[in-house]
Amino acid sequence: MAKQAALAQRSISRSLLLTLPILLWSLLMFSRTMMQSGKAPKIAALITLAFGVVLFFQMMRTLETHRWRRYFFVALGFLFPIGFIWDLVSLRGTMSIPVERMLSGDTPFCFMVIPMVIVPAALTRSIIFPGSILPTASNPHAIATMVALWLAATLIVGKAWCSYGCFFGGIEEGFSAVAKKPVIKKLDTRWRWMPWAVLAAIVLLSLATFEPVYCTWICPFKAITEYPQVRSLETAAQMGIFVTLFAGLVVVLPLLTKKRTQCSFLCPFGAFQSVFNRVGPIDVRIDTAHCVPCNICEKNCPTLSIDNSAVKAGKPMMSCMKCGACVDTCPRDAAVWHIKGTDVGSHSERARLFHLYAVWAFAVMFGGSIIANTLTKLLAMVA
Amino acid sequence: MAALGLVTEAFALGVSSGPVCLASCTPVLLPVLAAERKPLGGTGIILGEFLTGRLGGYLVFACLAWFAGITLSLQSHARAVAFGLSDLAMAGLLAGYGWTLGRRQKAGCEHACPATRARRFADRFGVFAPFCMGFASGVSLCPPFVAAGLRAVQTGAFVNAIIFFVWFFAGTAIWFIPSVGLGMLRRIESVALVARLMLFLLAAYYGYLTFIVLGGLFIHG
Amino acid sequence: MKKLRSILGHTGAILGLVLAVVSPFLLFGWFQHAIASAGLRIDPEYTGGEIARTIDRGAYRIAVYQPVWRRSPIQRIAPFVQLTWAPAASLPETVSDAVDLDGDGVADIRVTFRPAALAVDVASLNGKYRSVHSQGVTSFSQLIARVNERIVLRLPLD
Repeated sequence: MAKQAALAQRSISRSLLLTLPILLWSLLMFSRTMMQSGKAPKIAALITLAFGVVLFFQMMRTLETHRWRRYFFVALGFLFPIGFIWDLVSLRGTMSIPVERMLSGDTPFCFMVIPMVIVPAALTRSIIFPGSILPTASNPHAIATMVALWLAATLIVGKAWCSYGCFFGGIEEGFSAVAKKPVIKKLDTRWRWMPWAVLAAIVLLSLATFEPVYCTWICPFKAITEYPQVRSLETAAQMGIFVTLFAGLVVVLPLLTKKRTQCSFLCPFGAFQSVFNRVGPIDVRIDTAHCVPCNICEKNCPTLSIDNSAVKAGKPMMSCMKCGACVDTCPRDAAVWHIKGTDVGSHSERARLFHLYAVWAFAVMFGGSIIANTLTKLLAMVA
Repeated sequence: MAALGLVTEAFALGVSSGPVCLASCTPVLLPVLAAERKPLGGTGIILGEFLTGRLGGYLVFACLAWFAGITLSLQSHARAVAFGLSDLAMAGLLAGYGWTLGRRQKAGCEHACPATRARRFADRFGVFAPFCMGFASGVSLCPPFVAAGLRAVQTGAFVNAIIFFVWFFAGTAIWFIPSVGLGMLRRIESVALVARLMLFLLAAYYGYLTFIVLGGLFIHG
Repeated sequence: MKKLRSILGHTGAILGLVLAVVSPFLLFGWFQHAIASAGLRIDPEYTGGEIARTIDRGAYRIAVYQPVWRRSPIQRIAPFVQLTWAPAASLPETVSDAVDLDGDGVADIRVTFRPAALAVDVASLNGKYRSVHSQGVTSFSQLIARVNERIVLRLPLD
């Protein structure tokens, strides 16, 4: 088959040459960490740098994207909560956030809040979140900081944020990779519209109630980050919902289906980011001239973004996270990376390189710093 | 002349309060309108049912304010009970509406069979539910509504109070008219599917509110 | 036309790379500055609103805030008025202050609390506001809490 023939792989020297820009970028990004005093930050920076560079080298050498991206993404997903919880416990001795901390603007701002605050902020100039606009000593995750980060990331990577930046998505991607075969094979594809329903509901409810409804009602990741101190029936009910959704959608269902079920069936931020999928210059296409509908891409897509109608249309649905799974598994090279404006299949590897340099630069800057920070804390414990 | 002044005042208060009313009603109204997949006229009819129910809620409040002489800000305990029950009703209406919508939009059998009886129930529920949802959203105690109530009581005559509320309602209702435009999206199947999913999601949200409000009252008093 | 589209596509791809490189040095800072300069504020239900007046009591000051009302019928946080005592370290063992809430020159409530215990008695002096006995955090609208160097008191208005 065409793909397997091409798996003669790129030569080592050429792969190294293509990896060099990422090596230089990583050295620049981690230079500050390496200059910190103590052995732990230096070792952490070196490990993270080596990790990112080796993965990128493998992407160049094997001409595959998804497998190597996944290692980075899962590492980010599991290391982020460790570092975050560490910081919370160091600052205030607990993961839970008491009302007193909310009143002083110490609630860390999460990017998931963004869709909920936009309309109330536009209409009333007030942000319906108990955080702070600018970073403070007790709250580095300020609103301006996180929104700026999101804006920059969206401009650079669009919906690929969900494959390279979202530390929550990395957790369920890890669980989805555990089993060799799915136990639940058939999923009703109508559920993949649920994130849009959640997005519309929380935007309208947040405007109607002037509170960030997703955070106070159904965010599964509150179970592993920070949550309102349990002091009442309401906060106890909230915890119950958070833990149940986390266990169900982030752990159990990914294990059983080998899909990213929280992303596919709940995450409103993913739906929000889908809007920006139209904006970026690189996308994934299906070359209908080469496609013999074998449905392998559909089976391997972690977010149910490919079905028969998508194959006929020649492109995945707008929920595509540009993870590369379909491209890497297509036996006919029909699923390809594509530069918008060019012919489908004409410059697939060039498109992939453009995409990877941009997203990996972002991933090293953002995810890499999170990984290095957490490793620093862990190493400081043992060193 | 005085009557014209009253009408103008009520209408102006309604228009100025409209955005708040619209914002608080859209979580329920928009998915109901979008899920029906009716053309503009049909969507307008459903909106009309919703607004009629809302007017009903306003007028019930007007009567209560007039005859019971209630102070227009209820004690927080009574308010919590009222809102908890209203949330429970809304949860049931939304879930029922979402379920019967599926029944109504599916081709049912033509002979006497359970599907036909269920279809008849679904049809009736489909007419009755938007009115009830409008009513539930109309009995509210937001500041403009309270202000309207106070002013209505000040008019000194029951008929004047009713006229005041009707024109206040008319002023708020103007803001709802553009939502008829959702009928233009009826051919997009995904819009209707998302709207239907929203109905169940919102039912779960109102059910959650019911639990924490009424449950909190039960536990804490 | 086809060539032009291809050129535009490649240009977009190159721009994406450029954006990725400049983002940590320029973009990020610009965006953060722009958002911070947009005149946005944290919602009054979290901050307590704007300060209406300050009462000087010598060793400490009482700040009386503007009432925070509901903006929507289904907003769950009830209306409240916030008062703060600062600095907390200068407060006597028992604080008892008559406070004018509406700025008409007449005291409306008497607030009595022990900063160490964070239990408060609020007695209405003129019937305009309701008397409250509260300890700690009951809700966002009714609480007494130490927040950094202030004692924050919120009284429900309904």
